[in-house]
Amino acid sequence: MVVTGNGIEQALGDRVFRSMFEERKRVFVDLLGWDIPTLAGRYEIDQFDDDEAVYIVITDDSGEHCGSARLLRTDRPHILDTIFPHLCEDGPPAGPAVREITRFCLARRLRARDRLVTRNRLISALVRHALHHGITAYTGVAEWAWFQQILAFGWVCVPLGLPSISDPHSLSAMRIDISPETPRLLRQSGTFEPIHLMDLDRAAA
Amino acid sequence: MISLAEVQAFCTAANAASTPQTLMHAVQEITARMGFRYFALVHHIDLLAPDGTGIRLVHYPHEWVEAFEEGRLYASDPIHRASQTTNVGFAWSKVATMITLNARDRAVLAAARIAGLGNGFTIPAHIPGETNGSCSFAMGEGDDMDDAQLPLVQLVGSFAFEAARKIAHAAASPIPAVPQLTERQIECVALVARGKTDWEIARILGVGAETVTQHLKDARDRYGVTKRTMLAIRALFDGAISFADILRR
Repeated sequence: MVVTGNGIEQALGDRVFRSMFEERKRVFVDLLGWDIPTLAGRYEIDQFDDDEAVYIVITDDSGEHCGSARLLRTDRPHILDTIFPHLCEDGPPAGPAVREITRFCLARRLRARDRLVTRNRLISALVRHALHHGITAYTGVAEWAWFQQILAFGWVCVPLGLPSISDPHSLSAMRIDISPETPRLLRQSGTFEPIHLMDLDRAAA
Repeated sequence: MISLAEVQAFCTAANAASTPQTLMHAVQEITARMGFRYFALVHHIDLLAPDGTGIRLVHYPHEWVEAFEEGRLYASDPIHRASQTTNVGFAWSKVATMITLNARDRAVLAAARIAGLGNGFTIPAHIPGETNGSCSFAMGEGDDMDDAQLPLVQLVGSFAFEAARKIAHAAASPIPAVPQLTERQIECVALVARGKTDWEIARILGVGAETVTQHLKDARDRYGVTKRTMLAIRALFDGAISFADILRR
């Protein structure tokens, strides 16, 4: 199941999003060691988790959080233009039809196979979300190994700056173009997973 | 020296290429623009063996291609082996610091020089669940490689490999669904990969040994293999179990 949430306030009021913030803490702070703030030592929440942030969450049959991503508008402060502007040679792509994918997160408890399925569902959900909301491009930053995997999902990617060849952990920025063709491209690469979209507003109603 | 804009234009062109010939031309053109003379975009598998979905776009000196295929160097080539140890591109001059070179490796590298290959730069391509591959660019013997533009070369190599992979996928029949194992089967397979016998697995999981034997038999049937080693390797290859399942817990 795919659950979409709009804004931090709505997200904090719902169990599935709270478990997303908990998982983000386990992944980004505990596992990857990122130097980012936590709330009550339990939730990873930063200055970009605000009323404009959109959350896409993949849950299992019992409604548990399996994977999620946060989408930020690019016509207001976001990560690429605030923290990593140097990763883009010509400045970060921005505008009402461009969103930044951040905090792409897969639950640590998942086994390898389930991680792959969840990852593919999340990618498919992101593409579906873009097509439904008139989003024509996503941007994002990733370490080189992850960058290559993102490239291999099959969608159309363009590098925005140069990678470092001495440090495999250094970040690279990319733009991902989304069009009605994208689902077919994902399917061809074996990345597409059928998904069932659910808007939180409708789910609660 | 090429610019990022040229690399971006290459990425777009490579992405739009629907035949190996179109991609070959695009790679050939950018290879020359980057100051390299040769390139090889390959999966590290024996391409003389029948199968068909492997990637192979090669523009190398003739003598070297023949020597390479005659010696069946696909997986044992020192450059290919070094590329398994890293995610980022590396210059061939660094290979000795990445893997231990034996006499045969040194002979391979010397033969490449004799065939006219100078220094080169290889970009590994590791996609989970797929055969490893790489994209290499090489100078002519005696030419100097421009280190400043290697980050651009790394981008070109990655995008070129992905474009080739896309073309190979489109030509192949649709990707067959990987066999699905049950939770219990996965647990048993992970323990097989850790070297446990059926009896030991039964003790660890608190079930009967016959039950374990049956789980593993069913799992082997799903993959269509007859040996437990092959079962563990197949499950590892397609991600049903991971190295973390085997090595860490």
